[in-house]
Amino acid sequence: MGEYRKSGKGRVDHSEAVRFSFDGKSYEGLRGDTVASALMANGVHLLGRSFKYHRPRGAVGVGFEEPNALVTVRRGKGRMTPNLRATALEIYNGMEVTSQNRWPNLNFDIGAFNNTFSAFFPAGFYNKTFMWPKSFWDKVYEPFIRNMAGLGPAPTEPDPDVYASTYAHCDVLIVGAGPAGLAAAIAASKKDQRVVLVDENTELGGSLLGATGATIDGKPSEAWLAKTIKDLDKAQNVTVMTRTSAIGFYHDNFVALSERLTDHVPSLKPGQSREKLHRMRAGRVILAQGAIERPLVFNGNDRPGVMLASAAQTYINRYGVGVGKNIACFTAHDSAYQAVFDLADSNIRVAAIVDARKELAADILAQAQSRGIDVITNAVISKTGGKNRIKSIEVYSPDTGTKRQVNCDALLMSGGWTPSLHLWSHSKGSIKWDAATKVYLPDQANENCVCIGACNGDFGIKTALNAGSKAAGGRKSYKVEEADFGQGQIFDQLPNYIAPQKTKAFVDFQNDVTDKDIKLAVREGFKSIEHVKRYTTNGMATDQGKTSNLNALEIASKALGKDAPQVGLTTFRPPYTPTTFGAICGYRTDDLFEVTRKTPIDPWAESQGAVFEPVGIWRRAWYFPKPGEDMHAAVARECKATRDSLGIFDASTLGKIEVVGPDAAKFMNIMYTNPWSKLGVGACRYGLMLREDGYIYDDGVVGRLAEDRFHVTTTTGGAPRVYRHMEDYLQTEFPELEVWLTSTTEQWSVIALNGPNARKLIEPFVEGIDLSPESFPHMAVREGKICGVPTRLFRVSFSGELGFEVNVPAHFGKYVWETLFEAGQKYDITPYGTETMHVLRAEKGFIIVGQDTDGTVTPHDAGMSWIVSKKKKDFVGKRSLQRSDLVAEGRKHLIGLLTDDPNVVLEEGAQIVTDPNQPIPMDMLGHVTSSYWSEALGRSIAMALVRDGFNRMDEELYIPMPGGVNHKAKVVKPMFYDPKGERLNVL
Amino acid sequence: MSSDMKFDQGLTLPEILSGNDLKIMLLPEKVRYSLRIKPSDIAAVNKASGLKLPRKIGGSNLGKDQFVMCLGPDEWFVVANVDARDRLEKIFAKLEKSFTLSITDVSHRNICFGLMGADAVKAVNIGCPLDLSLEHFPVGKVTRTVFESAPIILTRTGEDNFGIECWRSFAPYIRGFFERYATDKAAA
Repeated sequence: MGEYRKSGKGRVDHSEAVRFSFDGKSYEGLRGDTVASALMANGVHLLGRSFKYHRPRGAVGVGFEEPNALVTVRRGKGRMTPNLRATALEIYNGMEVTSQNRWPNLNFDIGAFNNTFSAFFPAGFYNKTFMWPKSFWDKVYEPFIRNMAGLGPAPTEPDPDVYASTYAHCDVLIVGAGPAGLAAAIAASKKDQRVVLVDENTELGGSLLGATGATIDGKPSEAWLAKTIKDLDKAQNVTVMTRTSAIGFYHDNFVALSERLTDHVPSLKPGQSREKLHRMRAGRVILAQGAIERPLVFNGNDRPGVMLASAAQTYINRYGVGVGKNIACFTAHDSAYQAVFDLADSNIRVAAIVDARKELAADILAQAQSRGIDVITNAVISKTGGKNRIKSIEVYSPDTGTKRQVNCDALLMSGGWTPSLHLWSHSKGSIKWDAATKVYLPDQANENCVCIGACNGDFGIKTALNAGSKAAGGRKSYKVEEADFGQGQIFDQLPNYIAPQKTKAFVDFQNDVTDKDIKLAVREGFKSIEHVKRYTTNGMATDQGKTSNLNALEIASKALGKDAPQVGLTTFRPPYTPTTFGAICGYRTDDLFEVTRKTPIDPWAESQGAVFEPVGIWRRAWYFPKPGEDMHAAVARECKATRDSLGIFDASTLGKIEVVGPDAAKFMNIMYTNPWSKLGVGACRYGLMLREDGYIYDDGVVGRLAEDRFHVTTTTGGAPRVYRHMEDYLQTEFPELEVWLTSTTEQWSVIALNGPNARKLIEPFVEGIDLSPESFPHMAVREGKICGVPTRLFRVSFSGELGFEVNVPAHFGKYVWETLFEAGQKYDITPYGTETMHVLRAEKGFIIVGQDTDGTVTPHDAGMSWIVSKKKKDFVGKRSLQRSDLVAEGRKHLIGLLTDDPNVVLEEGAQIVTDPNQPIPMDMLGHVTSSYWSEALGRSIAMALVRDGFNRMDEELYIPMPGGVNHKAKVVKPMFYDPKGERLNVL
Repeated sequence: MSSDMKFDQGLTLPEILSGNDLKIMLLPEKVRYSLRIKPSDIAAVNKASGLKLPRKIGGSNLGKDQFVMCLGPDEWFVVANVDARDRLEKIFAKLEKSFTLSITDVSHRNICFGLMGADAVKAVNIGCPLDLSLEHFPVGKVTRTVFESAPIILTRTGEDNFGIECWRSFAPYIRGFFERYATDKAAA
């Protein structure tokens, strides 16, 4: 057992030793210890080095507010977590903990030279210094600064752990299980409602764990706590969650709770989740987050062994650990006295209590005197001594100028208390400044939410208990005997005889921000605390300024000569505590990170070794390489096989919308630029859809199945938005139309067959449809059967070849595909992917919406004026097509490009100019939208949007590329293959 | 045709999880129809068809071989066993003659997961953000909602019985969550 452990004291299990290591050295702690408490039990206070100056640091706090004691825990390959707070980290047998931000070791750290030269590193130092040369920033300055001023190293290996996530609901969510939260939970449990009580600590109790001696309803507080925990456990309607941090409070009482499941146990079972994110929607939220003690800002306040008084009190009462053997205390608040008394009562020598205040309540003084404690009022600590652990303090009385050295091995400090407003502020609850206690307190709620207990500025056990009961609708009045919580005084500045440039009084321990830095920021013109924060980095570390924000505000407002509310308060943002990415993702990792939609035929493509590409959230077969083939070779082969004989393509992802009702044709006339009334039943037509602004939005082939039923197809990526676009117009602009829309994208699996042998292939499988060209011409649709299953068979072509699109109910898609593929062997049937589909359509000059158009292209720009009805009275986008800028000269037009060198395939996106030798910036005419190698033509082809393109036919343009290469290309009509369309009519 | 080799819902294992407190199954073949009817015609349609279309959005009617849900002001969804197909199509043909409405066969658009057992609520809630307490989501309620990023129709046919109807291509994604949940349950 460590020499600082008090036998039998605290809530730790003195019968169960736990061995762990810190920086390679083995230590023994007890079950229930944190890394910090176990190390302190062994007399170790030096836990890390600070961020900027690499100063030796120990624990300042005792829980999640800790700014200093950040450590790394390694749990085997890939399981390295940096920046964990040693004060909130439970130990287990075999745990490996290392300190951070030091080299070569914690006791001797080279980076500490920053400390010696700290006068040269004021606030804004990096911003001011590393300005020039600019090119040095990325490669020299930033890596160096990041390396020196880092926290723990970021993990480099993938995280092997798994995480869980869920949604949950309750009527009352209570955050924080101190006296206020517990009383609220008890009161809430008595009503017919779902109650959830969460606390980030390992056990319930909050401040009751650290402060003993009070009685509640006649019982010692420990016994009351034990009974309360038992009662809550018994209550069927209460869920208690420990090790659970409420990390964010979002709209409508949506609170994110991150639960740590396994970090406190030595080993995980396979598949066990490390953490779980509960996305909780609560009817009412009761925030009982408590308050965090404020450090005092004085010269040398960061030496290991200097800590918050309440932390020292908790170390003795909860963990049975004395933070020293000869302690001193520096305070401006009464509450620190109780902490010192608790230590004194555990046989720890108290060297002195230094109180910055002039007056002190007589009863407190009497209690100190009865314990033989020397209390020095109206005095401050002017400096501290010791290297890696505090050894002495210098007590300075400003009124008399006397100085006195007092030896000690730990120093407790208390600058008062800061109510925790974090979650309240996330919820956009307003706050008000309390001038008397110099703190911000909750004011108006923005959600169904209330703050109770210390986070509402109501201190003391009795106050908290009664507030808790009341908040949850109870009426219980607790009988409590406790030491008076007392009062304090807030000091913006503590007097010192030492010249400011020779002192170092830290405000933000984690980011190494001193009072001087904040004053400097004010001198340099920063007037809002938000700007002071960004300039000094105060409150911007992983602890988000839990211990520093209010001290910084005090100093800044004093320096500005303004009241604190005029200087502001920095915004609290989620998460409340550092949270793993794993917890944020939950189950949504790897294949569940995002939806990947796959077609019924996808497994077949995968088995054939297809290479896939994402299209929207679909994955589609891109090309089907044979052994030894690259993409170019595979696509060339697929194109040739399709044009020569037969290609088979999975077009299932095409969006499909069934438009049904007596006004179906009328509706189609409104949504598309071309007319639909005269389209006969069984016929198909290509349709072009505009947005209200007149630009191309989508396109697709539409088949008329009955007078009142259209089978509309859309682009793959456009399906959801086209459906919404149609519903939007139907519901808001044309609600009088009797027509309904149903998405049938996934009802149909679509097998596209293209090539001269397409008809021959399907003939033997089709029932009930006459396939002869006379009765089933190009652009027609028939219903019948194929391979024994129902089909909507379209004769359409996106390749220029004879083509059929076989629509079958999706669950039969793979079967029909496999049957046709098998039968197609005699025609050398070749599966092709999206790349070949793109090449084949580009050879014909068919556009791809979103590739050859970009939301600024009108039908005329795309060379498609032919599809815009001049007779229709109205359609979406019609009026916009008359806008002056849409009919103006000089718009970009979609044209074809043929490169001078037929082997050059232009880069899609490349810019186009008339003269490549003109000075930069060149006058850019437009860009290449589609560009491919055409196997059928034996040369490259491209499409491009070019200013005034239609008037540039046969003109030679240039495409300058990086490296000084200028490709020359001729403007042509975007129709490269079979311009008369004869191949469609092959028999 | 239903049970032969041609039919493929895209998920290889019908049973994802089978325990005392939770069973998750891929339901066998069903027929599904989207019905769009003018609200003013409901009484007449019900009388003519015997379909028992519920009038309240979110309401449902579970029959012997069919499940009728109301999803919107003019939108109903019928899911039925395969052998009810002929009967239903006869009814629909009759309705199409006498009423202005839209009936679309979407049998193969969806698949359906069935969840049963005391843990079913928890399993649905890993991805569905709705409050599934009986007070807020009583037996018989149906709704369009989401399961993580997948749009679904959630149905409750018993205190511990849920159905998740989703479009076919979203099924493996949803199933993936159930698998992760099952691993979690086994390890906990």
